[in-house]
Amino acid sequence: MTQGLVLAIETSCDETAAAVVADGKHVLSSVVSSQVDIHARYGGVVPEVASRAHVDLITPVIAQTLIEAGIEHHDLDLVAATRGPGLIGSLLVGVSAAKSLALVWNKPFIGVNHLEGHLYSSFLEEPDLELPMIILLVSGGHTMLVSMDKHLTYRVLGQTLDDAAGEAYDKVARYLGLGYPGGPIIDKLATSGQAEISFPRPMIGEGYDFSFSGLKTAVINYVRKNPDELDENIAASFQEAVVEVLVTKTIRAAKDENAVSVCIGGGVAANSRLREAILDACPKEGLKPFIPSRSYCTDNAAMIGAAAWRRFKHDGPSDLATGADPNLRIPE
Amino acid sequence: MLILGIESSTSQVGCAIGGHEGVLASAHSSRGKRHAENLTPQIEFVCEQARVGLQEISVVAVDIGPGLYTGLRVGVTSAVSIAFGLNIPMIGVTSLDLVAYPIRHCQKLIVAAVDARRDEIFHANYRQVPGGIQRISEPAVTSPEDLSAELLASNDEVQLVGDGAIRYADHFKDLKGVEPAEPGLAFPSASSLVQLAHAKALREDFVKPSELKPLYLRKPDALEIDKQKRRVDR
Ligand SMILES: [Zn+2]
Repeated sequence: MTQGLVLAIETSCDETAAAVVADGKHVLSSVVSSQVDIHARYGGVVPEVASRAHVDLITPVIAQTLIEAGIEHHDLDLVAATRGPGLIGSLLVGVSAAKSLALVWNKPFIGVNHLEGHLYSSFLEEPDLELPMIILLVSGGHTMLVSMDKHLTYRVLGQTLDDAAGEAYDKVARYLGLGYPGGPIIDKLATSGQAEISFPRPMIGEGYDFSFSGLKTAVINYVRKNPDELDENIAASFQEAVVEVLVTKTIRAAKDENAVSVCIGGGVAANSRLREAILDACPKEGLKPFIPSRSYCTDNAAMIGAAAWRRFKHDGPSDLATGADPNLRIPE
Repeated sequence: MLILGIESSTSQVGCAIGGHEGVLASAHSSRGKRHAENLTPQIEFVCEQARVGLQEISVVAVDIGPGLYTGLRVGVTSAVSIAFGLNIPMIGVTSLDLVAYPIRHCQKLIVAAVDARRDEIFHANYRQVPGGIQRISEPAVTSPEDLSAELLASNDEVQLVGDGAIRYADHFKDLKGVEPAEPGLAFPSASSLVQLAHAKALREDFVKPSELKPLYLRKPDALEIDKQKRRVDR
């Protein structure tokens, strides 16, 4: 019999997602219904639009997840949902659904930290990753370097002082009139461009914090002065600057902290140049890199199921009076 | 037949259980912005009080709005999830029907007015009919100025009800023939919801969980979208 069957729900931003995960590592099913087309019209995620879409999508997504996993609700051992950080209206939909299902199915409920979910996404495909590990968590909302010394124990070494890496991608893409979301568009353009423009590498030599606002401004100023420059070259050069900063700091952190492994997570971890650069740099420094599949880098509920089961075994269930916390931080 | 009613479209959140014998137990709380935290324990509590297991519920009724979006979504998502989880049908009732229901014996034109924030009111009109009241206008959103002008033009004797009528009381207090709302009946109640839903259940007026949709009455806020764009352009 399968042990530790978790139904996990993730609605922190603009993906309505549910998954069934066994024992915190075997994914039986993972359904992600993206609202990206809805938000593309507005050039960014509009919270009220996202919340409304979650209400419409949540039950069909959960139903589909159970069907794909081939299980009945009687088989479940835990119902989990992301309780923060994220958009409050979106989080409340997932938390309300999970608590209600836990109540009627008479199962324990647990509220999960979205960031802890990202930190655990690597373990879905590589359950035996060795600790201590440095994780670079990069998305539209977050840019941070985290040291996982042992399971469920973290230290945030550094984070962005202004824009998140994904946010910088979105803003540059928007300025160039390329559309939304910026990450995949710039990634694709960059493959046919030359990274010859020398954009600044903000704070590359100092500490573990990041700053991408100045880089974004440098790109915009360059485009103003050189209106004929190819978008492909701008994309490649901008991407090279972002990736070099991310990788340099990640490797330095791993060496300083005597880490064994290096992982990446978050939407920007789906970026092809970043994946390539991490895989390239780590072995040179004697570090073992692990790069999750793209579908486990972007927001998904499987990672929430992985974190949920670990937390549940350690802390037990959450109270049914649990609400959402839009500003939840990584537990340290 | 046992009905679980969930109501959270205003600053209040509440639930009730009832059926043929009337309302067996109910609970409500009015600490603003605590809908999600309060609702699930409340449901557990009313089940205990009514000595009913959740498995015995055969219908979930829910206030579908209009109302305050965040609370409304907590109520609708919870209700839909419960109905889905138990594989039972649902009944949706508007918040305006719920505030009009307790004064159903009133002979005047009943105008239900729920606070929509941002200087607006959700409203609908009701008339007495044999056996209760009937809504005679579609739920709509308007400014208190426009609603008071409408009431003035109607020449009807009007009974106002709902928290919108109280919040914007200044707009209605000097209108001839318009009786102000009673504060004690300002909010939709889960008990009214169960009673109204019971009548609908007898007529098998059910929807599937997948068919139930909140009644927002407003497009996602244009202001909010502009704000988002400015943030991106920063
Ligand atoms: Zn995320």
